[in-house]
Amino acid sequence: MTSQFEFAASASTAAEVRTALRLTRSISATWWYGALAIVISQLIIVALLVDTLVEGGAGTLRAVGIGVGGMLWWLATLPPLFGYRHRAIDAPLMVWRKHLPSLLVATAFGLAAGLVTGVWVVGVLPVVQAAILLNWPPGVRLRVVLAVTGLLVALALIDVRLTLGENLAAGWPQVLFLSTVLPVVTVSSLWLWDVLVALDQARTSEARLAATHERLRLATDVHDLQGHHLQVIALQLELAERLMPRDPEAATEQLRAARASVDDARQGTRDLATRFRSVPLSDELANAVDLLRAACTDAEAVADPDAATAPASALGPVIRETTTNVLRHGGGRWARLSLTRSNGSWRYEISNDIATNAPRAPQDGGGGGSGLEGLRRRAAEEDGDLEVRRDGETFTVVVTVPAGDGSADEEVAG
Amino acid sequence: MIRVLLADDEGMIRSALAALLRLEPDIDVVAECADGAQAVSEALRLKPDVCLLDLEMPHLDGVQVTERLNRTLATRCVIVTRHARPGVLRRALASGAAGFLPKARSANEVAAVIRRVAAGGRYVDPEIAADALSDKRSPLTDRELDVLRAGRRGETTRQIARTLSLAPGTVRNHISNVLGKLAVDSRQQAVLLAEERGWI
Repeated sequence: MTSQFEFAASASTAAEVRTALRLTRSISATWWYGALAIVISQLIIVALLVDTLVEGGAGTLRAVGIGVGGMLWWLATLPPLFGYRHRAIDAPLMVWRKHLPSLLVATAFGLAAGLVTGVWVVGVLPVVQAAILLNWPPGVRLRVVLAVTGLLVALALIDVRLTLGENLAAGWPQVLFLSTVLPVVTVSSLWLWDVLVALDQARTSEARLAATHERLRLATDVHDLQGHHLQVIALQLELAERLMPRDPEAATEQLRAARASVDDARQGTRDLATRFRSVPLSDELANAVDLLRAACTDAEAVADPDAATAPASALGPVIRETTTNVLRHGGGRWARLSLTRSNGSWRYEISNDIATNAPRAPQDGGGGGSGLEGLRRRAAEEDGDLEVRRDGETFTVVVTVPAGDGSADEEVAG
Repeated sequence: MIRVLLADDEGMIRSALAALLRLEPDIDVVAECADGAQAVSEALRLKPDVCLLDLEMPHLDGVQVTERLNRTLATRCVIVTRHARPGVLRRALASGAAGFLPKARSANEVAAVIRRVAAGGRYVDPEIAADALSDKRSPLTDRELDVLRAGRRGETTRQIARTLSLAPGTVRNHISNVLGKLAVDSRQQAVLLAEERGWI
């Protein structure tokens, strides 16, 4: 039983699975947007810097040197950036293997670029960017980025007033501006990613919580049900024990009643479990074919594409009963099932070969059984009809029930 | 006289059922076994007419015992279970079991099933069949099942790709789809689940 409950509670429909897959893809895409924004900003700064140096007549050798150094710095920032995606929240501030190379490269490039250009911001930015990409705790990172942005703004002012002076016109304003906002761009992208991850975790834990609630509710139901029945059984057994010496006949009666109570309890538990197990009729047909094939019967099923809309309450029991009959009494060579709609009613037909060697209960009609009477009553309740045919070696059961409200409306409309 | 072998790892149930069956005039319980391996060796030694096998047993489960016995003996196997997991009836029928019934049936009914099966008939309990028909269908595509099947012995992605003449990247795609659909973390878990449900 427990496995049935587990199954009911944990099963997810195909639609849910598709939604989850789509969501995973969207989350992945969002990561790449953010990461690309950072990466491209860095690349633009390097390109602008080289361009400005060339325009400013700094010499090809210097410009190329800065360009190559800039690319190295750019490459060195990639591993810590992409490592950020799967980092653990409580990871240490600095993983030596991951962050040290990028810090070293950034320092070397910063020094070289600072010395070559003489611009403070250009010297400091690479190191600042590498430091921003360390694994700062959420609150601390905000303070760090405010501090370094303040520092960069101050350095930019110094550069504008003192270092560059009359050179300022040649593309430097863009370089300085972009350099100053790079840490803010980086941190806001990473922050967005953190928020997204937190939301995703909240979503999954909410789904898990819902499943747990469902299980808990089931557990309570099972507990109440079993508790009630056990109490009844205990009383019946006690009564039987007391009655045994004086009135064996009545005691036996109580024992029988206790056994009936056990059956009730079992049936009740089963009903609880099956309450959550319903599949479309087309799936029941496919399952029936699988079962018959497993029993070495050549089985085939035909179902209309909209078979899922057929009245499951009426036809479900019919499919189960007739399939069981074929499994139990059929000849075992072949079976054909079909579920089709015509003239506003659903028609289920199952035919199979008749067993030649198997023993028969008196009521068995080769593929039938006393269960067919129950099915006939059930079909009549739904204004339907059941027909049983024996035709040579073929046994056929046909059940017709009126289609539900949906199709009746269609007919009126048509 | 119908000679019956009884295998169940729960001693109380086994001995009670054996005692009840012995009360039937035409049934003789010739062996009581506590696990699947013992059931196989006793059945080979005693050649009973009918084996009544519990589904959940240590070492070999009821279906595996049925598979082994059907290869060598003409004995008829009936599988008994407390709760039928999805896919298990299909596995049992495929293994050649002649009957399948829930443990909750009374000894009277069990005796009737034994008689029916011994006479060459087949018995599938309606309750279990109804459960089997309302099993969830496999959410996996044929190709995804192929990938699981090709990798069920722990083969590498590369080996699976070679077996199915696919690119390793395609195989990896299929596997990640499978893991998503079944909500499991590893290919091994996916294979176990699919085997349990009888999808592969």
